[in-house]
Amino acid sequence: MRFFINLLIGPLVGLLAACSSMPADQISDARDPYESTNRSVFEFNMAVDSAVVEPAAKGYRALPEFMQDGLSNHAEWTSYPSTAVNSVLQGKFENAALATVNFLVNGLTLGFVDLTEDKDDPIREDFGQTLAAWSVPEGSYIMMPLLGPGTTRSHTGFLLDVITNPLGYSGQSGAETIQYTSTPVSVVTFRGNNFDQINDIKYSAADPYAKTRSFYFQYREGQLNDGDRAASTESDDAFDSFLNDEN
Amino acid sequence: MVKHMKHWVFIFAVMTMVLGVVGPRHALANDRLDEGVALVNSLVERIQTVIGDNPNQTPEQDQVRAETNAIINEFFDFDLVARFAAGQAWRSASPTEKSDYKTAFRRVLLALAETQFEYFRHIEYTHKTAISKGPKLMIVSGMVQDKTGEFPDVVISWRISTKAEKPVRIIDLEVENISMLITQQQENTAIIRQNGGSFQALIDALNQQADDIAAGKASISD
Repeated sequence: MRFFINLLIGPLVGLLAACSSMPADQISDARDPYESTNRSVFEFNMAVDSAVVEPAAKGYRALPEFMQDGLSNHAEWTSYPSTAVNSVLQGKFENAALATVNFLVNGLTLGFVDLTEDKDDPIREDFGQTLAAWSVPEGSYIMMPLLGPGTTRSHTGFLLDVITNPLGYSGQSGAETIQYTSTPVSVVTFRGNNFDQINDIKYSAADPYAKTRSFYFQYREGQLNDGDRAASTESDDAFDSFLNDEN
Repeated sequence: MVKHMKHWVFIFAVMTMVLGVVGPRHALANDRLDEGVALVNSLVERIQTVIGDNPNQTPEQDQVRAETNAIINEFFDFDLVARFAAGQAWRSASPTEKSDYKTAFRRVLLALAETQFEYFRHIEYTHKTAISKGPKLMIVSGMVQDKTGEFPDVVISWRISTKAEKPVRIIDLEVENISMLITQQQENTAIIRQNGGSFQALIDALNQQADDIAAGKASISD
């Protein structure tokens, strides 16, 4: 397994090594050694957002509510196979069963209608979370063109999710079409469902790049803890250390 | 056998020490859980009182600003919040810079509150849990529901300072596990580092941000 992971992570690390790094005193976060390059990519992504994603998200928000719900449900539904696989790999069998049942039942409508109407939706699990569960180090913060923020581990996980998605192995062209369209649909529904919050960062933040990075790390930590607030977080540690230093 | 007994005596001694030292300190914080919950509940009530029941009677901008200022002073430890948000650069800033920074930071908070105030009319807060995070911190969590149904339910957590012999005060708000104050601190640190360590650059950026937010609100309401 370790050989398999190294085989996949190796080329990505090599690619990242080509990125220019900044002098240590100018780096604003130790997890982001390629800040200079990442900021350039972020600017490119914001330009793409302004030209394509934001207008598409505006269009999505102009749709009747039942159509918005349908697209959101569909985007969520396409993630269930990956959630099922990764839940098994992390030993979360109940979540895997829930994702499988939701995928099969809602598959009758291609996921556009939530037939289960279950309040306990499966918790989304991806290969990045699986790698974290297997204690693979997080690596550096990388802003990928079009894909957005992530770490070496989470971007590797994304690649593995694409490779291992069961939809790609069904042998049916319809399933493959769903797989190819799932990412753009997810991007637009995510942008539309978080329209104001993302625009707040984009247009009102003093440093949108730094704010996005901070949001990413905290959001990701919440995902890795399955949203369990009782778990100790980096934020808790930062406040603890600050209050102790005060005395 | 004797060696085995020594092993257990050692474990017992360690457990006694741990319980003796940590137990009472956590209990001290636990005694204040109710105070923290009451603080959050009264904050929510206060905001609802300011907004009022009548959706056609929006409070005047000056009133919102005055009330937000009063709320910050009464429910939040603004001094601690400002110092935390400044990050490590706080220590090397001059007294004038510290004062200017606090003024600029408060301007940003007030400008943000003014843009978001009307949103509070449409939400309902339900208390869920209160947990101790050691002797100086606690977390009160609740669910925010949008009464219009436009936004999904959101879990929010209030981080509250429970320092001994001081009143409990809110120092942070977490939305879906994202801390507003940690985000502010990391953004502030980035601004200072990007400007060669200049604290004045942070003050300028905050003032600019407050102006931009106010201008944005003005252009929306025009």
